[in-house]
Amino acid sequence: MADAVVRHVVTFGRVLREVGLEVGPGRVADALRGLDTVDLTRQEDVYFTLRQTLVARQDELDLFDRAFRAWFLRAPVLPPVRTTDRPAEQQKIGESLSDASSGEQDEEMGDPLELGASGHELLRDKDFAEMTPDEYRRVRRLIAAIAGSRPLRASRRRRSHPRGDRLDMRRLIRASLRTGGDPVDRPYRARKEVPRKLVVLCDVSGSMDAYARALVLFLHAAVGSGPGVEAFAFGTRLSRLTPELGTRDPEAALEKCTEAVTDWGSGTRIGASLKEFNDLYGKRALSRGAVVVIVSDGWERQDPELVGREMARLARAAYAVVWVNPLKGNPDYQPLAGGMRAALPYIDRFLTGHNLRSLEELAAVLAGIERRHAA
Amino acid sequence: MSAFRTIDELEVALQAADYLPDRGLSTALFLSLALEKPLLLEGEAGVGKTEAAKSLAVATGSRLIRLQCYEGLDVAHAVYEWNYPRQLLHIRAAQEGTVSEDELFGPEFLIRRPLLEAIDSDEPVVLLIDEIDRADEEFEAFLLEVLSDFQITIPELGTIRARRKPAVILTSNRTRELHDALKRRALFHWIGHPSIDREIEIVKIRIPGVSERLAAEAAAFVRELRGLDLAKPPGVAETIDWTMALNALGKQEIDADVVEQTLGSVLKYREDIEAVRDETLAQLVDTARATAAR
Repeated sequence: MADAVVRHVVTFGRVLREVGLEVGPGRVADALRGLDTVDLTRQEDVYFTLRQTLVARQDELDLFDRAFRAWFLRAPVLPPVRTTDRPAEQQKIGESLSDASSGEQDEEMGDPLELGASGHELLRDKDFAEMTPDEYRRVRRLIAAIAGSRPLRASRRRRSHPRGDRLDMRRLIRASLRTGGDPVDRPYRARKEVPRKLVVLCDVSGSMDAYARALVLFLHAAVGSGPGVEAFAFGTRLSRLTPELGTRDPEAALEKCTEAVTDWGSGTRIGASLKEFNDLYGKRALSRGAVVVIVSDGWERQDPELVGREMARLARAAYAVVWVNPLKGNPDYQPLAGGMRAALPYIDRFLTGHNLRSLEELAAVLAGIERRHAA
Repeated sequence: MSAFRTIDELEVALQAADYLPDRGLSTALFLSLALEKPLLLEGEAGVGKTEAAKSLAVATGSRLIRLQCYEGLDVAHAVYEWNYPRQLLHIRAAQEGTVSEDELFGPEFLIRRPLLEAIDSDEPVVLLIDEIDRADEEFEAFLLEVLSDFQITIPELGTIRARRKPAVILTSNRTRELHDALKRRALFHWIGHPSIDREIEIVKIRIPGVSERLAAEAAAFVRELRGLDLAKPPGVAETIDWTMALNALGKQEIDADVVEQTLGSVLKYREDIEAVRDETLAQLVDTARATAAR
């Protein structure tokens, strides 16, 4: 192959890496081998050969097309669309973040798990909204510990187990050889248990502001607890948070969440957000068989009817739906908010989430949740 | 190595198998053969992913071996399994002490499942691994091993190597993200809905004797449906089924009444059917007929 083509493709590979595609040397080698077999004068064939060897995900096709146009067709490139941030809201979160991270050192000294019985107990029942920054720092690690427990489902795979429910035929045959075909020993296999998928949808709109920080920590720890956890934030629209929460450091994750959810602190459109989730992710069966946890006060600003409709769709696909409403912690609370009332028929468990004790309760429910009896 | 020297040659062979791929898909299939790499096909349900593999088998004169994936799919159902009842009977029937373990775990008692069949075949094979996203991740890891070495080890029999590499097509409906290592191993092609002209061609080739007008109007109508916000937008398979139904009813063109009666073969969800009732439906029919007339 002509050197010029090789150089061209290698450089193009670099261009793709710069816009964020994972293009390793193996892929570039495939592209070159592929180009060797097709007609280079046909633009369409060159395009598909490069695309099929260099791109591995549908959501990267757009980026690839843009780069291809710019590089091979010399078209002007449009910069990728960036969502506009809301400076005022960002500022607010920024402040609380620096609050939380200053004084980090002295906090690391004492283990929050050893607060002492009385201090611990007091904090457990204190509403997140009423905590001082210092108290909040103390409960951080407790939140992480709570979020670690996951509901299990039986995998269809089996392994040897003395009290299994199915005979281990391979071993049984071998053993029977020695006994003339009589299965004297009966080895068994049992199903393995694996974590059930967990999907968390967290309302971060203005009315939830006080609880958002604690819940984001909860989300972060949940995502860190293993595979099969997906987290989303919603306000006026939905945003997938799993990648942002994938980092080790909760504070950094918080910061990234803030960037990702541009409508932090503004109004809520629960129905529209649920619809977006169902349309985009439900179709890809993300919610099928999953335990779905919705964290929201149920204040739908727009269309309670839509909330009901989308909750029905969600509940059909999910294994179980848990709604966590921090306002429910208030003894005077009645679930009268329009959205909340519309959602209630589709909820398996309705919990609070306003303090540590209630998060513990949530974890216990998640660990032992049963599917609802009737839809 | 591929029997086709150019993409055009492969296209001709696919068309002879009643399959009309667009240029992107032919390129993908061609590259998969030429580079001897698995091809991962993704796309909405009903765009013809499985069909592509079947047609490739016909076009290349290969045997199609299909592994349908599902949650919990394991080695016993994908690769091989020992025939335990026969083994037990054999031990019983034989004189005590005369059956050796080697005999018992020999080829005679082996049940061969799709992956082993594909690896251990003397004829050319197209191996279709359908809906890989439904299998669990442990199986995906195992599959990755098979696809990199094209060999399978059975403890009792030793290692079986492919004498000729099968062409491998994997399909996914994207119910979950596949493992990066698997994606690195494969070529990737995203199949979108076909252009309207191509869809009309596909309908005509699949339903011999269908009127040009009916094919065009049905394709145009389905296209309108895809533009709506539906839970499950119809694929090419639905267009074919539906046109077949209309054709069987003796229709030469579509009208609101017959569409209403047969909507169930295009839309599979009650909400979707309800969403396009009444005025919406009449409007869609008008638009589709106008598009088709052009």
